[in-house]
Amino acid sequence: MTAFVTLAGVYSTPDISSDFGVERSRDQDLMTTSRALDQFLCSVEKRAFKIAQLGLRNDDDALDAVQDSMMKLVQSYAARSADEWRPLFYRILANRIRDMQRRRTVRGRIMAWLPARDSEDDEDFDPIAQAPSHDPGPAKRLELDEAIGVLETAVAGLPPRQQQAFLLRNLEGLDVNETASAMGCSEGSVKTHYFRALENLRAKLGEVF
Amino acid sequence: MTQDFEKRTQEVLEESAARLDGRTRSRLTRARHAALAQLEKPARTWWPSYVPAGAAAAVAVLAVVMWSGSNTGNPQLAPSGQEEDIELLADAEAADFVADGEDLEFYEWAAGEVES
Repeated sequence: MTAFVTLAGVYSTPDISSDFGVERSRDQDLMTTSRALDQFLCSVEKRAFKIAQLGLRNDDDALDAVQDSMMKLVQSYAARSADEWRPLFYRILANRIRDMQRRRTVRGRIMAWLPARDSEDDEDFDPIAQAPSHDPGPAKRLELDEAIGVLETAVAGLPPRQQQAFLLRNLEGLDVNETASAMGCSEGSVKTHYFRALENLRAKLGEVF
Repeated sequence: MTQDFEKRTQEVLEESAARLDGRTRSRLTRARHAALAQLEKPARTWWPSYVPAGAAAAVAVLAVVMWSGSNTGNPQLAPSGQEEDIELLADAEAADFVADGEDLEFYEWAAGEVES
C-alpha cells in the first residue's frame, strides 16, 4: 500500500489546473492593463492633439504624431507603472513632433524644386468633420473663438522649447518635475522656458487677455 | 496678475481642446483602439528580422577568411578555384540569377556553343 501511494505520487497526471490558473491570471492582468491604458489615453488624447497641432500646425500630422505616440507607449511601456505613463507619453510625443518638424524641413527643401500641386483635390468630404462638439451659445462662442484663435496663434509662434514647456505645464497640467522628464531636461530649464513663454505671450496678448 | 494670465490661457486652451470636431475625435478614438490592439498581439520573435543580416555577415566573414588565406602565399591554403568560389558567394546578382531560373536554358546553350 505504501508502495502504491509512492508510485501514485510519481506517476500521477501533471497538475494542469495550475497552468490554467497562470493563463487566466495573465489574461486578467492583460485586461486590467488594457483598461488602465484605455482610460489614460482617453484622458490625454485631446490635449495631446492640441499640443501636436500647435507644434506642427497641421491636423493630419498632429493626429499621426498622437497615434504614433500611443502605439509606442503601448508597445514599449505598457508594463510600467501607470504613474510613469504621462511623462513617458509626452516625452514620446515631443520626440515625434520634433522628428516630424525636421522631416518637414527637409521635405520642404526638396519640394521647393518641384511644381506646386493642389492638395485639396484628393480630400474626401467627411460629414463627421462638420459635427460641432458642443455649443456654449453664440455670444460666448464668438468670444471664445476669438480668444482661442489669438492664443493659439501666439503659442504657435513661440520657440519650440518654450511652447513645449508652456503647453505641458499650462494645458496638460504637469508639474515641473514631470515636465522636465517629458522634455528630457533639468527642472531649472523647464522653469526658464516656461517663464520666457509666459513673458512672450503676455507681451503679445496683454491687451486681449 | 501672472496667475490670472496663466489661468485665463489655461481655460482657453482647455476649451479649445474640448471643442475638437467630430472627425478629429473619431480619429483619436480609432488611434487609441489601434494602439490597444497591440496588447493582444503575441510578442514578435526576434530572430526572423536578423536572419538575412546574419546570413550576409556569415558570407562576408567566410569570404574574408578565404581571401586572407589565399594571400598568404601558401599554395595549399589557396587551391585553384577558391577565388572563383568567393566571387560566386559574394555575387548577389548571380544568386538572383540562379534563384530566378529565367533564361537558364539559354545560358547553358550559349556555354555549350562556346566550348564547342
